[in-house]
Amino acid sequence: MRATRSARTLAVAAAAGAALLLTSCAGGDLTSSSGSEGGDDAATTWNDATADLSGVTITFGGGTAGGPLDGAIEAFQEETGATIERVTYPDPYEQNLQTRVATGDIPDLASWQPTTSMLTALQAPANLLPLDDAPWLDAMDPAVRDIAGFVDGTRYAAIVSSPSVMGVYYNKAVFAQYGITELPQSWDEMLDVARTVQAGGGTAFVEAGGAQWPTQWAVQMQLAEAAQDGLWDEVNAGETAFTDSPIIDAITTYQGMVDEGLYNDDLRTATFEDQSAHLFAGEGAMALQVNALLEQLLTQYDAQQIDDTLGWFPISTDGTVATTIPDNKNGIVAFKTGDAEREAAAKQFLTFLMTDYYPTYIEDGGLVSIETDVPNPDTVPQLAQDIAASLGDSVGSMQSLAIANPDLYINLASLLYGEMTPEQVAEATQQQFAQLAQAQGAEGF
Amino acid sequence: MTATPATLAAPAARAARRATRARRPGGPGAGRRTAGRALHDVVVVLLAAVVVGVPLWLVLVTASKTTAEAARPDLSLPTEFALGDNLRQVVDQGEVLLALGGSLLVTVPAVVLLLVLGSAASWVLARRTGRWNAVLYTVGISSIVLPPAVITTVLTVRSLGLQGTAPGMVGVYTGMFMGTVIFFVTGFARNLPIELEEAARLDGTTPFQLFTRIVLPMLRPVIATAAILTTLSIWNEVFYTFFVLGGGDTTTLPLNLYKVASAAQYVNNWNLIFAYVVLMSLPMIIVFAVAQRRIISGVTSGAVK
Amino acid sequence: MATTAPAPARTAHAASGRAAAPAPRRRRAVSYPSWMLWPAFAALLVFFLVPTLLNFVYAFTDWSAFKQGFGFVGAQNFQRLFADGSLLSSLRVTLVWAVLVALLQNGFGFVLALLLEGDTRVNRGARIVFFLPVLLSPLAVGYVFQALLRPDGALNGVLGALTGTDVSIAWLGSTTWTIVVVSVVQAWKWMGLSMLIFMAGLKTMPTDVLEAARIDGASWWRTLWSVRFPLLAPAVTFNVATALLGSMNGFDTATALTNGGPARSTELLNIFIFRTFGQGLYAQATTMSLVLFLTVVIVALPVILYLRRRENVL
Repeated sequence: MRATRSARTLAVAAAAGAALLLTSCAGGDLTSSSGSEGGDDAATTWNDATADLSGVTITFGGGTAGGPLDGAIEAFQEETGATIERVTYPDPYEQNLQTRVATGDIPDLASWQPTTSMLTALQAPANLLPLDDAPWLDAMDPAVRDIAGFVDGTRYAAIVSSPSVMGVYYNKAVFAQYGITELPQSWDEMLDVARTVQAGGGTAFVEAGGAQWPTQWAVQMQLAEAAQDGLWDEVNAGETAFTDSPIIDAITTYQGMVDEGLYNDDLRTATFEDQSAHLFAGEGAMALQVNALLEQLLTQYDAQQIDDTLGWFPISTDGTVATTIPDNKNGIVAFKTGDAEREAAAKQFLTFLMTDYYPTYIEDGGLVSIETDVPNPDTVPQLAQDIAASLGDSVGSMQSLAIANPDLYINLASLLYGEMTPEQVAEATQQQFAQLAQAQGAEGF
Repeated sequence: MTATPATLAAPAARAARRATRARRPGGPGAGRRTAGRALHDVVVVLLAAVVVGVPLWLVLVTASKTTAEAARPDLSLPTEFALGDNLRQVVDQGEVLLALGGSLLVTVPAVVLLLVLGSAASWVLARRTGRWNAVLYTVGISSIVLPPAVITTVLTVRSLGLQGTAPGMVGVYTGMFMGTVIFFVTGFARNLPIELEEAARLDGTTPFQLFTRIVLPMLRPVIATAAILTTLSIWNEVFYTFFVLGGGDTTTLPLNLYKVASAAQYVNNWNLIFAYVVLMSLPMIIVFAVAQRRIISGVTSGAVK
Repeated sequence: MATTAPAPARTAHAASGRAAAPAPRRRRAVSYPSWMLWPAFAALLVFFLVPTLLNFVYAFTDWSAFKQGFGFVGAQNFQRLFADGSLLSSLRVTLVWAVLVALLQNGFGFVLALLLEGDTRVNRGARIVFFLPVLLSPLAVGYVFQALLRPDGALNGVLGALTGTDVSIAWLGSTTWTIVVVSVVQAWKWMGLSMLIFMAGLKTMPTDVLEAARIDGASWWRTLWSVRFPLLAPAVTFNVATALLGSMNGFDTATALTNGGPARSTELLNIFIFRTFGQGLYAQATTMSLVLFLTVVIVALPVILYLRRRENVL
């Protein structure tokens, strides 16, 4: 008897609890209370960079430890009396931050990739403070200012450093060794250079298959001209798929390059560190990579050494159009926490960083300046300046322009292992894209 | 086999007698036996050294190297002995003392609650009969089989206002591992002789006194097992900790390992990671070293009946 | 666990002369009060059952990171998940892993238990050494072996020294064999526990049967397989059960070692689930955990029940 009653009570309690939780979540947002009035007011007010903030505590999620951000945060705390607590999210950074946001655990500021797909993943309109009337925008280099950070025409991310660009890093000595004096001006010319090196007994390309994520650059760089013609708009509308030209062609070309033997022997297992080490040591002629490669080398060598050893050029199918892919060090977002004071403080930090503190920030980090009146520090390598210069003739990547970010790189890594054909890679990526687009409620899916 | 202390003693005694008989020197075949034993010992030591020793050696040796040397971890000895520096850096960066406090704050209450509540419930489940009782038992052990449901757990904790707090974490662990405790203790309790309980009840003891004075002492071996298994699981647990405690003031040792491991962006700072691993494992190893006989006998006698 | 226990107890009760109680069950219920059940079940309910049930409910919705609120979509998530082959391949990987771990962990544990049976000082020391991996955090074990198994890591270094050539096998870079390597690491971590359980089983064996075998002149090997192993059935059940259930639901070590690579060949279902969560597709992720749960029920439970029944038969 008692047992029956116990069990039944248990069942009822379980159902009640589940129902309660469901109703509290259904319809309402899963994140903690949205800003409502406090947030709207804060959205339009911008404090002075060094206005007093004593007693205010805000949290900053992510951001590389030991980088120039540390100095910015300390300086801000000193100048304003605010306290900024750093919150670490372990790798994979984006996934963990997103999940925490979904459980309602929101920081005030966070380093975040200022691309449409990644901002949508944070439900920017609902969770982030709009930055359209930020006081530092006019001071920014026009080539950089509007390159990223938007969702549906509203700016949600502050770009704080020169966006990362996909390009070709080459070893100067190796190029000289094989008699290559002119930089390629198209994909085919680059392949000719590669074959020359290979024929001479060298390794043309160095790939980091073990790290997986770099495998997507070779494919994306080929799509630059198509992207300028609106490829990603078509993909977003469901009119063009990954299985259609030109995307499938780009993947097939990549497969062809691998099959031709133009890559390093440890192509499949080489880590990111291996890749940069191989290239720097001259064990390979070229590496198709993003700014991360340069940053990694800068932790081991100084600007002069790097400039002496390596060069950089952009490349695309028919020309030298660069493809930009801002990474999470290039952008910072401010969240709608519902607390007007904290929101204002968060925005004030951004103002501080991009106005008063900016020269120190780029000096500390050896970064290229993205503000017209602030010159580059002396420690910036020529390579970084070349990369920044390419922004004038550049186009956004899949991450920047597509509404969703499928795991193309994971499928390409399978291709390297011979587990997937180009068609299968395209098919799998398309399916994933469709799933994400549908979850967003995009039309056409 | 009913597991009263009496029935356990007999075979143990007989085994002991046989062992001493085997060790007596002299007699035919004794020489072969000693040689065989020597070979056996060599094999055992070699096996232990290679299988367990090598990885642990790697940890110690890498923890004692500088970052540059440790970038490619191998078995060579460090040229510059940096263990002290690494440990110091890790204690600072990884906030080891804070994390240790957090781990204790979360583990001890959770294990105590699990054992107390779990054994009480298990005894009732073990003694009662009937279909509903079986249903309750199945529900009780369901946590062993069901996969993790992170987000909903965190949402639940949040709706109780316990997000980011130690009590919230303790609650989650108590729910998660209750199944394990119930599974072990119920099985063991079913095999306890009921005469003692019946006799005591006739004397008029309340069920509660019955449980605490008579049943609990008899449950000691299995409670030891459950204690060890849950402590191990909770102490090293990192997945739920990240989501439930993350953003709060409490942190645990495994959580800070993440911090240390992801601190340097482009280089794997193996020396710091392994120095942290050394520190993080020390409490468990010390407890084990001190109580190892108790622990081993607890695990062995509590699990297999 | 023996099923004969209750019988002697009831016999003793009857023999003590008491008249059979009119309703022994009711009296029993009174003396095993419900209130002793409630705290445990309350904790279980709030912190485990409700979240888990809710989790399964969300599998029938379109809950994601991309929108506020959610709606019900029936079995759509399931249909889509099975149409796309990645769920099935993850399931396959998980099953292979679980079976490998169960076999290897218990195989090693059994061998170790036999090897370290005797109560010598060397053996007792070795038991402690082999139990040490059990105490380490799975995350830490993953990092340690990641370092050991790199192409330029310690294992290849040792092999190179032994064979005199340059060995640079990519232990974690094979789409066919890395799953085995990862299973071996998991088995390495837990074999100490398995060893202890088997040792307990060996120690509590009825000696009369063993004496009889010895008197009959059976060799050590014969005794092992015909007499001792069958009697170890409870230990085998426990070890296989914990290995199967633990490996199907746990993934710390695998994540730290390979994070599902290379080319998703070690992507356990839980790793896939976490990756899907990370993309913001929460409803799909909960659908997958429901599938995992059903898989565990369908695969692991019958095995465990079979082993339990085998215990009783033997």
